[in-house]
Amino acid sequence: MINNTGRRRRWAATAAVVALGGISLAACSSSGGGSGSGQEPQTITFAYSNPSGNEHYYQDAAAAYKKAHPGVAITMQSLPAESYAQAIATRIQGGNAPDVFQAESGSGQADSIQPFAKAGLLLPLTDPALKAELTPAGLSQFQYNGKIYAVSLGSAVNGIVYNDQLAKAAGVTLTANSTFSDVLQACAAAKAKGKSLFGLAGSAAPNTGILALEIATSAVYGADPNWDAQRTADTVKFATTPGWTATLNSIVQLYKAGCFQPGAQSAGFDALTNGSSRGQLFGFFAPSGAAHDISVASGGHVNLVALPFPAPSGQTYASVSSDTSVAGNAHTKSPKLVASFLAFLASPAGQKILSAGSGYFPVGTTNVSTLSAPYKPVAAMITSRQYRGFPTINWPNGKVYADLGSGVQGLLTGQETVPQVLQQMDSDWTTP
Amino acid sequence: MTRSPATPTLAQGENARPGRAARSGLVGYGYWWWTVPALVLTGTVIYLATASGAFYAFTNWTGIGPYNFVGVSNFVKVFQTPQLLGALVNTVLLAVGFVVFTNLIGLGFALALNRTLKTRYLLRTLIFLPVVLSPVAVSFIWKFIFAYNGPLNQILGDVGLGSLRHNWLAVPKLALGCVLVVMVWQSIGFVSVVYLAGLATVPAELEEAAAIDGAGMWRRFRRITLPLIQPSLAIATTLTLIQGLRVFDQVMALTGGGPDNATQTLATEIYQQTFTYQEFGLGAAMALLLTVFILVFTVAQLALTRDRT
Repeated sequence: MINNTGRRRRWAATAAVVALGGISLAACSSSGGGSGSGQEPQTITFAYSNPSGNEHYYQDAAAAYKKAHPGVAITMQSLPAESYAQAIATRIQGGNAPDVFQAESGSGQADSIQPFAKAGLLLPLTDPALKAELTPAGLSQFQYNGKIYAVSLGSAVNGIVYNDQLAKAAGVTLTANSTFSDVLQACAAAKAKGKSLFGLAGSAAPNTGILALEIATSAVYGADPNWDAQRTADTVKFATTPGWTATLNSIVQLYKAGCFQPGAQSAGFDALTNGSSRGQLFGFFAPSGAAHDISVASGGHVNLVALPFPAPSGQTYASVSSDTSVAGNAHTKSPKLVASFLAFLASPAGQKILSAGSGYFPVGTTNVSTLSAPYKPVAAMITSRQYRGFPTINWPNGKVYADLGSGVQGLLTGQETVPQVLQQMDSDWTTP
Repeated sequence: MTRSPATPTLAQGENARPGRAARSGLVGYGYWWWTVPALVLTGTVIYLATASGAFYAFTNWTGIGPYNFVGVSNFVKVFQTPQLLGALVNTVLLAVGFVVFTNLIGLGFALALNRTLKTRYLLRTLIFLPVVLSPVAVSFIWKFIFAYNGPLNQILGDVGLGSLRHNWLAVPKLALGCVLVVMVWQSIGFVSVVYLAGLATVPAELEEAAAIDGAGMWRRFRRITLPLIQPSLAIATTLTLIQGLRVFDQVMALTGGGPDNATQTLATEIYQQTFTYQEFGLGAAMALLLTVFILVFTVAQLALTRDRT
């Protein structure tokens, strides 16, 4: 039996332990509060997607900024393209985001900026010059509640990145004026030579998704540029819009015609790189910057061009967008440095460096004669404004685009039908 | 037959000492309050965090900002959404397949490498080698092997089995099988080691005596070896069951949950719904379901494999 003295001693000891623990915790929490010096760290991290391994333009821009700002260090983090959106979204949500990171404008992809801005996870950018610099690209896609949260990498054509020289050598012809029937004929011609007209990374939703959106640019948004607004107002649906049905049916048609490389359903981005470098395929679906990347990687031996995807019927429109963006972490320890670096990227000087290395063209470019060689086939379409934007910037969440991408894979593997994919997208659209 | 006690019994004098210490003052107090920091840490980091997660399963929280209580609608959604239900089925299939194949093959290797073979130590090392590798790295290598133009299809073509070539990761059932193969391949070594430890406790004399009495190989295994390695069986099956139910790395690296979500599991769906789609409430509900699944399956499995001797 324990006497009163013993019990008191036991409680005293317990209280001492608790008090000691409390003091320790308090010490921990107080030690984390503020650096005290008022000088923010001059080293920041910058993460970006790396589909081809040649994303040196970010390094070029960072190097130029560091040269103009001695003492600044920018640590680059190159991440795999196939999982980039998920990886960066996880890091942002988990409070482990880099100081600066590549993202998508608008709201329709897993790494789109607006949901993160709404959650207070992005750094608002207040440089007065940004508004004028981003307006030509469509300012609203970089904003949330009137504040700017990202800057554009530049503008690009989302289309077929095409090796015209190689295709012509094999007797295959495809131009910006080709029709969908021409594409099917070209597929047959390429197949007869043991090649594939297109490479498709069927297991990578961003690649199957961009193919669908390239076709929908003409099939849906060509005739109805405000389709997204109507979908938001619930006056139209994916499942009942003929253009969307035609878009997905076209992909099935392309697959059955042997337009894609063997094994396309489960292929990753590596299949595109390998197939292109070995001359086994003539084109793939990507932003036009990829044409520049591959040309640089080959030392100028391979010259690719950007083509619009021909409409299943009617007029063809190019898909031109400035959605690839760069944003800052709201919880960075160097907010002034991050804002300054992002302002530099959006400035004419920054855009010049980025476009020189990426193959994108600076936001607001009006003189198409200054565009690089890959854009020659689509220059006339850009001049005559025969183009539409990238739809996902207006889509309400990342699920719609993700299920479009996986749905296209399901069409190729026979797991889903066209109506099922479109109904799923309608269901996703209304997900809160 | 007499059996040695499993644990040594304490002499009466030894048994009495803690009692005397408890009565003697400060040392006795240590028996409970010394555990307070560990209990607080465990309670906060594990059980409080788990309870918080369970709490959010009944909300529509997006990860940031306010939330509303939505009752059990997140759980209803899990069972009404074909994709999420498919993930649940895949999880069970992979877990069961993983337990069965890993333990059968692992036990087979353990029996083969238990005695007699001169090279058994080298072979044990070789079989254990995959265990030390990163599951993600291993899965990427297997992804290359299973690729349409990969080594597996090339070898099948070279040996005249071209008809067996498939787009392994594009056919839903085959893709799920590929995930299972990689899981099993990497874990056989671990399970073998567990069984080897159990087999080391089986007296050779018993088997020799049974053999002299005319018992065949299967009968000796069934009547002598298996009962004596029952603890190893329980440990190996429990660990593989838990590992199978929470499979994540191999699925993400091999298929990313595809084709068209056909190989999604509860763990990958939890990740996707929570972090990609910012549906923390739904993700929490699925995590809670996974926890309950693991609990129920593990208890049932332990009941099945417990030592009844």
